[in-house]
Amino acid sequence: MEIVVAQDVVKTYRTGVGRARVREMIPPPFDRALQRVFREWWLRDTFNALDGLSLGVPKGSAIGLVGHNGAGKTTLLKLIAGVTAPTSGAVMTSGRVAALLDVTAGFHPELTGRENLYVAAGMYGLDRRDVLARMDRILDFTELGELIETPVKRYSAGMWARLGFGMVSAIDADLLLIDEVLAVGDSEFQRKCVEWLDGYRQRGGTLLFVSHNLGLVRHMTDRVVWLDHGVILADGPTNQVLGEYARATERRRDQANERDQHSARKLMRVTGLDRWGRGGVRVAEADVRQTAATGRSLIVTMKYEASSTREALFSVGFIDESGFEVGSSLSPHFQLESDVGAVCWEIQQLPLRAGIYYPVMSILSPQGDILDRWKLERAVVLDVNGGPDVRAELGPAEFRGSWIGTP
Amino acid sequence: MIARLWRHRSLALTLTRRQYELRYRQSLVGLVWAVAAPLATLGVATLLFHKVLRVGTDGAPYSLFALSALVPWGFFASSLTFGVQSITQGGVLVTRFAFPRAVLPLSMIGTAFIDLIISFGLFVAFVYLAGMRVPLSGLWALPLLFLETVLVVAVVLLASALNVFARDVKLFVPIAVQLMLFVTPVMYSLESVPESLRPWFKLNPMAGLVESFRQVLVFGSAPDFSLLLPTILITVVVFGLAIWYFDAAEPRFADVI
Repeated sequence: MEIVVAQDVVKTYRTGVGRARVREMIPPPFDRALQRVFREWWLRDTFNALDGLSLGVPKGSAIGLVGHNGAGKTTLLKLIAGVTAPTSGAVMTSGRVAALLDVTAGFHPELTGRENLYVAAGMYGLDRRDVLARMDRILDFTELGELIETPVKRYSAGMWARLGFGMVSAIDADLLLIDEVLAVGDSEFQRKCVEWLDGYRQRGGTLLFVSHNLGLVRHMTDRVVWLDHGVILADGPTNQVLGEYARATERRRDQANERDQHSARKLMRVTGLDRWGRGGVRVAEADVRQTAATGRSLIVTMKYEASSTREALFSVGFIDESGFEVGSSLSPHFQLESDVGAVCWEIQQLPLRAGIYYPVMSILSPQGDILDRWKLERAVVLDVNGGPDVRAELGPAEFRGSWIGTP
Repeated sequence: MIARLWRHRSLALTLTRRQYELRYRQSLVGLVWAVAAPLATLGVATLLFHKVLRVGTDGAPYSLFALSALVPWGFFASSLTFGVQSITQGGVLVTRFAFPRAVLPLSMIGTAFIDLIISFGLFVAFVYLAGMRVPLSGLWALPLLFLETVLVVAVVLLASALNVFARDVKLFVPIAVQLMLFVTPVMYSLESVPESLRPWFKLNPMAGLVESFRQVLVFGSAPDFSLLLPTILITVVVFGLAIWYFDAAEPRFADVI
């Protein structure tokens, strides 16, 4: 059974502020008449956030929406939530739909957490008694304690997220729409939300999930819809679509980098978290193939420039898309014979599962101090190699070992 | 629309409560303001219309004469001034929840209704202070109040919906309400208006209402239906228009706010 059916949905927005929008004031059927007569004037300064999109969401499924900013992800969620109506086409939903469209969750800053919960519950047609019956559960989930009696204007962003999640967890939705909310809040709370969502899915709940954190999308969903300029570019099993999406993202970034290199004001990003170290030797250039496959070989070469140090260790490591440090490989001592040179690392069977990984190049002193550490902005995308569904497996690392069965 | 609103009645009550609490939260004297506003208006009206201009009250004490009209007028005025911005100010909710948007202006009218009850209590207190009683004809105030509420709902729904698209409405409404007070027989009687101008005054839907409230609450007579006819006709037309327009425009609110 489909819990959401969207048919040929077009959503047109007007750009700009003020007078242009006064045209929206004219109600149907007069607006359609005007549009027929003064087509050009009527459609000036408009764009289609969704451009003829059709989508079915089966009950009990979990679908991730990915796409670049402005692709139409949030617009689609708003239409399904019923916050706004399509310009043409139809969106039909059944059951109770709950949405967390952003961190603020529609809370009023002057009202306390508890009062906001009453208002929000009313939005879903629940009354005070329903909230009271669920209050213990909500308090338990949000861990807000006494703060529930404080105006939410005094809350931190993390507490807003807690309250928002506490709200949706309490209203027994059949369909849950979540737009980039898990990014806020500490990792402990994030884990709690993910656990709750896992449970919600096991109870038969349907989930539509928007996030730029592809690791979360991979964990939460079994199907991914890739939106681009208001149309569906790809729709299929999570790993397949995420792989395609990641490769396309890398291509886009490469093209952007190439444009940057042609521009006069080229700046290398060596500040912040991307690059640091004590100096003496630095990575001058790194060469990593951008696509690789689980269990196949990968070669990384690193050119270095040494100014004072004559002895160093090299390391190649990987960080996954959620920032988790997966692992690294450390070289033996190297005597640096000249000011410039190169080292090469080869791994025969790459023990990483399908996904997106950022290589980290490091040069260490013999004492273990970091002389230069560089997190590359270009990712290595690992292909799905047709193996078993990795969603059922643990973590990003694939251990090779031998299995023996005994009766 | 009515069915959807009924399902969300508890939301409307919650919002009314919250808005009322919010209005007086972090204020020092709180509810005193609900009484202070009509009292202050009454004071100025007494000074200006009773002492300076000496308008006729047909034998009634001026305080009761003015207050019996000020109470329903205040409900109209505050519903409209607060209600016109109810949807734009509730933008946070409109862009995140799917609920019948009419709940927002209706709950604003709800808070004005609480003020109405408080100021009506003030009127009753004045009646007893003057050593009089509220006449039995005062029961007519209930159907009159119903008529006024329908009119207020219609005007506020229309104004709040239009204000989403053109914020000129919220700038226009306070001026309109202020000017209307001058041409509505609240602080003076319709009798004191020159005969030649009176038909024009009667076209104002609030004129018939406040005059009728005064008749039933102070003078102990039944309302004059010829006075109320323009009010009833205008109310029916505006109510129909408001429901139709609100329903048609509602799906676009979230896009424009």
